[in-house]
Amino acid sequence: MNSTPALLNRILLTVLGLFLLAAGILLVLLATLPPAASWWHAWAAGAWGGVNQLFDSTRFPGRPESWLWIVVALALLALMGLMVAWIAQQGKGRANLLAAEYDPGGTPGDVRIGGGVAEQALRQALEGRPDLAGATVTTYDVKGSPALKVRLLPRQGVAPHLLAAEVSGLLDALESVVGKEIPVLIHIGAGARTRFGRAERVR
Amino acid sequence: MSSSVENREMDSGTRRSDRPDMRRITYRETHSSRAAVSVAAAILVLVLAAYGVLESGVHAVGQPAWLIEPQVAAQRIVDLPAGISPLLLAVIGAVLAMLGLIFLLNGVLPGKRARHLLAGGRGERLPAVVVDDEVIASSLARRARLAANVTPEQVMVVVSQRQVLVNVRPTSGVPVDQDAVLAAVQDELDRMMLEPVPVARVNVTASGVIGA
Repeated sequence: MNSTPALLNRILLTVLGLFLLAAGILLVLLATLPPAASWWHAWAAGAWGGVNQLFDSTRFPGRPESWLWIVVALALLALMGLMVAWIAQQGKGRANLLAAEYDPGGTPGDVRIGGGVAEQALRQALEGRPDLAGATVTTYDVKGSPALKVRLLPRQGVAPHLLAAEVSGLLDALESVVGKEIPVLIHIGAGARTRFGRAERVR
Repeated sequence: MSSSVENREMDSGTRRSDRPDMRRITYRETHSSRAAVSVAAAILVLVLAAYGVLESGVHAVGQPAWLIEPQVAAQRIVDLPAGISPLLLAVIGAVLAMLGLIFLLNGVLPGKRARHLLAGGRGERLPAVVVDDEVIASSLARRARLAANVTPEQVMVVVSQRQVLVNVRPTSGVPVDQDAVLAAVQDELDRMMLEPVPVARVNVTASGVIGA
């Protein structure tokens, strides 16, 4: 539920994958099939000739180097910048505020409720339940509006729908305290602590 | 504040997960993210581009190349099957194609996680709930164990996207009613109301366990 650019990731991975796959298959064909080699010679020599001509025609006046190399370097630098930006997009989206609204009451100013309120209140409410091995609550920013993610780690054998219904009651209480409807996702998961911990026998 | 409470009561008939941003959130929770592979791909491109910047920059100012002159490298690529042993060339090609295939499949495959959505009953208004298949399996195993009257070690439940398989090994000499186990598991599944709905099957093994 963070703001990782899922579609962009898939598109870029597909493009890079196709490119590498094509290059690899070409190399294998060159190594194994003689006809492929002769076709490659004809095509690549022509292409390289054209590129060479381009470099020759763009020399600095009076010097052997072409200014096209600077363009290439700048283009590659831009590509590096884009890659850094792409990495920086992964896994963002944590938020601090649960609600921030103008208060129309007598006191001038805004009302802001931090995400810690919901996190601490829910953690306190879920603490000490015998059917839970652990619970975490985090606030996320989903397209500009805050949302809560409640991750529950029930012990073995706990019925997930009953647990979800009970936690949902807690969330309703929280909403009436905050005075605002917050989108909530409950994730009932399993981890090492539930796998090797004791099973819940009595409820 | 009061107006938002009224709004909440007005739209209480519709389920919360019907809203578009909730659908996006649940999609993200039930499909694996490509963040790690994306970072690896970006670093790969980054390293190659950094080398390219170095060589072309060095070339542009007329200095000798660091590893190989770009024009010499291009000429070698044009001459390719010559100048390198075919075995090495084929191996390099195979490795590149393999890497490309990994990236391509990561980009194209659906990447569903072993999780189900919980729909919630008519009366109760559940928020979006995502459950790991492991939790569903352990809950069903508990129910099947009680219905079959065996120990936890004798029941194994496998939950996949559209199928639930319950394996029961009866205690030797004590028959297990397959239909009763199936009814119990089906009842538990009906209460959970998973999305997508899996089909339950019970498999009682022919050989029993002694001394359980």
